[in-house]
Amino acid sequence: MGRYVIRRLLQALLTLFITLFLLHYLTALSVQIRGNPALLFFGGERTPDPAMLAQIERLYGLDNTCFDRPGDPCLGPFVERLQNYAAGDFGTTLNGNRDVGELLTIYIPNTLRLFIFSTITLVTLAMVLGTWAARRRGGLIDHSVRGATILIDSVPVFLILLAYVYILAVPLTNWARDIWGAESFMGQVFRPNYNPDYPWTTIIIPGIIVGTVGLATLTRLVRASQLENLGSDFVRTAKAKGLKTGRITVVHVVRNSMIPIVTGVGYTFAFALSGAVLTEGIMGIPGMGRMIFQAVQRQETNLIIVGLTVTAVVVILVTLVVDLLYAVLDPRIRYD
Amino acid sequence: MTELTAPAAGADAPQASLWKDAFRAMARRPDVLFASLIMLFVFTMAAFPGLFTDKDPTRCIGREARGRPETWFRGEHPLGTDAFGCDFAATIVHGTRPTITLALSVIVLSVLIGMTLGILAGYFGGWIDAVISRALDVFIVIPLMMGAILLLSLFRGRGSSGNLLETVAPAAIALTLFGWMEFCRYARAATIETKNLDYVTAARCLGAKDRRIMFRHVLPNAVVPITAIVPTSLGSVIVVEAALAVLGIGVQPPATSWGVLLSNGTQWAGGGYIYLFGIPLGLLILTVFSFATFGDALRDALDPKLR
Amino acid sequence: MAETTGPAADVLPGSDMNAPLLEVEDLRVEFAVRGRRIPAVRGVNFALEQGKTLAVVGESGSGKSVTSQAIMGILDSPPGFVTGGEVRLRGVDLLQQDEETRRTVRGNHIAIVFQDALSALNPVWSVGFQLGELYRVHRGAGRRAAEQKAIELLDQVGIPDAKNRVGHYPHQFSGGMRQRVMIAMALALDPEVLIADEPTTALDVTVQAQIMRLLRRIQDERNMGLILITHDLGVVADVADDVAVMYAGQIVERANIHDVFARPAHPYTKALLRAIPRVDAVGRELEVIPGLPPNPAALPSGCPFHPRCRAADPERCGDEEPPDRQAAEGHLARCHFAEEVYRDER
Repeated sequence: MGRYVIRRLLQALLTLFITLFLLHYLTALSVQIRGNPALLFFGGERTPDPAMLAQIERLYGLDNTCFDRPGDPCLGPFVERLQNYAAGDFGTTLNGNRDVGELLTIYIPNTLRLFIFSTITLVTLAMVLGTWAARRRGGLIDHSVRGATILIDSVPVFLILLAYVYILAVPLTNWARDIWGAESFMGQVFRPNYNPDYPWTTIIIPGIIVGTVGLATLTRLVRASQLENLGSDFVRTAKAKGLKTGRITVVHVVRNSMIPIVTGVGYTFAFALSGAVLTEGIMGIPGMGRMIFQAVQRQETNLIIVGLTVTAVVVILVTLVVDLLYAVLDPRIRYD
Repeated sequence: MTELTAPAAGADAPQASLWKDAFRAMARRPDVLFASLIMLFVFTMAAFPGLFTDKDPTRCIGREARGRPETWFRGEHPLGTDAFGCDFAATIVHGTRPTITLALSVIVLSVLIGMTLGILAGYFGGWIDAVISRALDVFIVIPLMMGAILLLSLFRGRGSSGNLLETVAPAAIALTLFGWMEFCRYARAATIETKNLDYVTAARCLGAKDRRIMFRHVLPNAVVPITAIVPTSLGSVIVVEAALAVLGIGVQPPATSWGVLLSNGTQWAGGGYIYLFGIPLGLLILTVFSFATFGDALRDALDPKLR
Repeated sequence: MAETTGPAADVLPGSDMNAPLLEVEDLRVEFAVRGRRIPAVRGVNFALEQGKTLAVVGESGSGKSVTSQAIMGILDSPPGFVTGGEVRLRGVDLLQQDEETRRTVRGNHIAIVFQDALSALNPVWSVGFQLGELYRVHRGAGRRAAEQKAIELLDQVGIPDAKNRVGHYPHQFSGGMRQRVMIAMALALDPEVLIADEPTTALDVTVQAQIMRLLRRIQDERNMGLILITHDLGVVADVADDVAVMYAGQIVERANIHDVFARPAHPYTKALLRAIPRVDAVGRELEVIPGLPPNPAALPSGCPFHPRCRAADPERCGDEEPPDRQAAEGHLARCHFAEEVYRDER
């Protein structure tokens, strides 16, 4: 097991390294093809003073001549970038000149809190609906669950959110405040935007909405794996042992279904990250997603690259955890 | 070479019946028929917009702006007019083509790339597999939409000229670059599985060439799981396009797509012109739902043990 | 084994210790497939006494496994339904009991050993957990005590180094050892009836013999009734007391094992016996039974065996379903010509 963990860790590091290089190379290419983003600093069309331009170029690490040769991988600036990241220096924002590393320490916990709620929602809904559909296989409930989850999954998460913000949030908030008062939990939970004074309460609804990303996929997975286990020989053995239905379900069906479900949750995580971009942007949650959302609108390439780097690290970590969990959950996996 | 045709025939027969059975299973389901009708409607709208509207979406009269569709589906403006006084029905109908073209081109390119790499990796193994698998690992780390955001921001254009190719190409390239991985994984897995089947080993022992084995045995088996995920993937490309449009980096104005219409519609939804948001929203959801339902049924039909 | 017997679980309410151990009378099972009812078991009768072994022999699809699952009450339902008959354990008709009573009967009174131990054991739990589960559920034992019991059981079925093996997972055992685990699981609660459903089919020939010897030893020690289901008459020759031959959901011949081997009274049994390779007949070509086992959804008219039968009377056997006929004392056969076949005249 120990050697397996080490091997997986090294593999994850290699993937991260290549990903960082890919991100860097794409940035370099964009500078080489489209021209200098430092010009943006001067607000587009105006031709700035060459001396100032050179200064700005130095500030953003664009003074290397490799940025003038299309296709050049710019290894020098890449090493520099890695060194900066390792030292915790992620650059500053064009807009407001704030330290990106500092912003990350605020943004990442907010996004994590969003994900706590979305993951809980996703797993609970998928387990309940998938189990229910598997029990009523081929019946009305099976078809309804399938149709409903596909429908929910078909509606893009930002549209659910827009519909919520524009149509439901205000009346629900007013209704709740009439009964429980503005400062109560219920008075805050339905708000159409994030409120930093209530960092947990006002993140519940967006979390639940992000939790619908991948619902159809995961429900389908739960249903299929439960059906496979329900019809398996070892469940027949469990019945022959005179176990109660409840125990058979928990010990022999759900426990065995956990293996594909863990993989499924890990897999949908990457999609939920995309969902977070628009969710946080629309709800005004100061997290990684909103950072990317605003970076796109303000054309701050560096912020996008940092955002994607964090995303990549998260996805690699989640994949790693899923693989290790898999090894714990399924004793048949060999580690060598 | 006569000996070689015998195992090949044995392999083709179950393939043919697999597709036939799948078709039969699909044709019996009412939800699939409904989804097919919607898909047919949308594809027709993309291919022949003239069948659905005789208005020009670029001919706009300012003083008719934001005319609510009081005469639903009839009259001068069947779905009213948009914020600039253009006929909204015509805008929607003509916005279908970029949307569908984008989705189709992304999927076709992704399938081609993913299947080629997947079959090569699975069939030859060794260093080819190592390189392709590493590339898979790296690209999978960046979710489809994030990758598209990155590329479209880095290589942001200056607005399109209205030519369909130029309108769609940037988004199509960005989405393809980060969309081929799933197809590659399925193709690779199916190839490895097929490669080790007894009749393929037998064919190889009898001296069949790599290319022959790949086209006769491996390809037909790799096509099955890939076909099963194509409709659902089409739907998700449409969704991502809409999300990119909301971010302002998808299909660029003056060209329209459903995403662009939705993104414009959000500004008016709160102000009482809900149809500007609701109609493209309904159309998008209905389409994506149809693709997903069709894809779900197709997966069941092609993989009967999960039904 | 007195210490494993709990107070209430071991006595089935209403049971009569003088009644036969297990009697199956006119048992019928049907499967609902696409709106149609397909008979799988069509009126099976047999009795099993304490300490005896009954071999149920038949080709695949003859209904022998379905019969055993119906007795256990673990038939997948739907699609399978018991549509008639009685299964009496010490005089109590199990089919009339509620689900809770039936559940306590399973494991406590009747236990089953399945064919493929690899798929019949849950891959994600250790064998110790799966064995101990029985004590924890039926006897309320604690985790520690259950594991101790599991070690004892593994030891009894001849698994070396049971103390260390108890924490291993099913895939870490060899085929023969896995089947021993399966048998240990069936024995755990000291049942009166043990059903072994093709216990050796998935195993190597040498291991087959070891498992059969183990089953026989255990049955002797515990004085159980054993139902041995198999498609191979050769396997049961030196283990069984009685034989029931199944064909198309019915028992076509039932008698003492020596009678059946010496003088079969049904042409099907006769054909099965001729298909066993024999050391004393080297050079003789093995006979095969022509044709295929019948499709339960489209059984032939009359005697279901008549299309494959060498002794059939084309008119009578094709039209008239044969009753059970007594060919000799305690020797029943479902054939119009049972007596003639018995006397080897047909």
